[in-house]
Amino acid sequence: MENRWIAYLIPPFIVTLLLVAGSQFVFIQNSFYQDLGLGRTGTDLTLVNYLNFFTDSFYLKTFWITIKVSALASLFTLFLGFPIAYVIARMKSRLAMLLLAGIVVSTFVTIVIKVFGLIIIFSADGVLNTTLMNLGLIDRAYSIIGTQEGIVVGLMHFTIGFSVLLLYSVVVTVPPSLEYAAQIHGASRWRVYQRVIIPLCTPGFVVGGLMIFNMCMGAFTSAALLGGGRVLTLPVLVQRTVMMEVKYSTAASIAFVLLVSVILINLISLIAIRRLRSARLVIA
Amino acid sequence: MNKITKTFTSVAMAVGIVSAVATSATAGEFDGVTLKVATWGGSWKENMEKVIVPKFEALGGKIEFVTGSPASSFAKLVAGRGRAPFDVMEVLDAQVGDFAQVDYLQPINLDLIPNKSNLQPFQYNTTYVGSWFTQEVICYNTEKFSELGIPAPKTYADLAVPALQDKVSLPDINSGAGLANFGGVIFAAGGDEQNIQPGLDLMAKINATKFWKRGGETKTQFETGDIYAAVVHAGWCARAARAGSPVMSVHPEIKPGVKGLAKEGWLGIMKSSENVAAAHWFINEYLTTDFQYEYAINSGVFPLNSEAIEKMKSDEINARLMEMDAGNISKMLRIDYNKVDKTAWIDGWNKTLTTN
Repeated sequence: MENRWIAYLIPPFIVTLLLVAGSQFVFIQNSFYQDLGLGRTGTDLTLVNYLNFFTDSFYLKTFWITIKVSALASLFTLFLGFPIAYVIARMKSRLAMLLLAGIVVSTFVTIVIKVFGLIIIFSADGVLNTTLMNLGLIDRAYSIIGTQEGIVVGLMHFTIGFSVLLLYSVVVTVPPSLEYAAQIHGASRWRVYQRVIIPLCTPGFVVGGLMIFNMCMGAFTSAALLGGGRVLTLPVLVQRTVMMEVKYSTAASIAFVLLVSVILINLISLIAIRRLRSARLVIA
Repeated sequence: MNKITKTFTSVAMAVGIVSAVATSATAGEFDGVTLKVATWGGSWKENMEKVIVPKFEALGGKIEFVTGSPASSFAKLVAGRGRAPFDVMEVLDAQVGDFAQVDYLQPINLDLIPNKSNLQPFQYNTTYVGSWFTQEVICYNTEKFSELGIPAPKTYADLAVPALQDKVSLPDINSGAGLANFGGVIFAAGGDEQNIQPGLDLMAKINATKFWKRGGETKTQFETGDIYAAVVHAGWCARAARAGSPVMSVHPEIKPGVKGLAKEGWLGIMKSSENVAAAHWFINEYLTTDFQYEYAINSGVFPLNSEAIEKMKSDEINARLMEMDAGNISKMLRIDYNKVDKTAWIDGWNKTLTTN
């Protein structure tokens, strides 16, 4: 019975594989030829683009910044998204559905509009700076444009709705009766979170965190608009290299490094979590 | 059918036939032709839609726009190995050398461009026809400068003061104005096409809050108070002024005898184009006084058409923010891109000014 259902998955898998692998193949193949400028490439296979990437401090720094802002944004998004998801999941009124619908609708808003909203809020004459200056907390307007912090905020804004929806689906699988049982036996609210809810939601945190991280690693618009040309991430660098410098092979090698690094980070994280869980089970 | 109805029907048919013949007599020239033009979006495209498109449609043709920067159009051209998804393209002065290497343009028959008579002879040749130029300036908020007690800037180095830290916006090297203005800063700092380090040092000292990709970003940033000065073309300064920002422009001193910086735009016809006659017609229309003036007022570029330049002088904001004197315009710096190693400029920029 199970095998029959798996058979249904084969056609979409093949289509997806062809679409993804087919489009990537030409691009990746191109990365193994030397860039001669103006879109022209050499004829001999070479690793020169990859050597350039891994020996040039500019590329390595950009790579590190991409991982750093993506990891921070994922962490903060989970941290912010979980309480919201938890509260909605435990609501018994129709308000929960209304709030969820609101979050779904907010994810339809294009990221460009969202980022411009942030730019306006954080502008020198914007609400935030004006309030902070009136309160005497800062003496000079703070701008998020052109800073890594700004990109983190932009990525969080980009992924928060998705994160709440994802974590909501995790929290609803945890029966409230487990929380009541723990409390009846004297556990404090904090202890319930610490020993019941968070451990049961951990697989969801891991999968959700990785999905958000992957989205952030590939995010272009937030990073391009809030980086302000001063802070570059790999997706922005790929766009600049293709569109402005017309160096397809270099851009392909950067994109391939990005793809492989995302896959590796995901695999390593999943293996690490599995080992951690096994170790805990053995101890328990 | 009674007599009145018959008479009315006959008259209506006659009027219909006459008007159809009359229309086809004027509209036949480009019947069924779809001309594709690669240009910027926004006001650039809108001006063409307003002035040029109706005339072409009256001749039976249709114009479609492929919007984007000249750099992205060039990337599309390279990706298609010269098979362009457009017939005519806006080319920046910084790209002329690139086009020379790839040979994607076809010769222009200057006999089909009678409006070239409105241009100076050096503004057209058999590969390109000049379309506009911009005056790259320092645009600054006069009120903020007064509040801070800073004198009006005379050159780029005047932006490298503590009070303006994080309050200046400069063009990104990958924007349309990037190479030109970086060149201006290099020369003003004592460097040249090969020695770019003085320019990089000065750029780092200015410590811009943002490297803009589109000039419109500076207009918004003046409005929100995020910047007090920007290096941008005078047209964007004019747009900021028209939107109510208290701005003034300065043509930066670059070296003795050279004040201000010009960036030039050209038009070329793609080798792959099959609509050659329509492409020539389009370029000719681009040079009319009406279009050049409309373009200059709405997009902020400076016209090449001599009559349009005269009309420009009547606009108070343009007259205040742009250099109108032909002698002074001729003294502006024009970067010789044949001497520029663009890869070295971009690499130098990336490694010094980004990802810090």
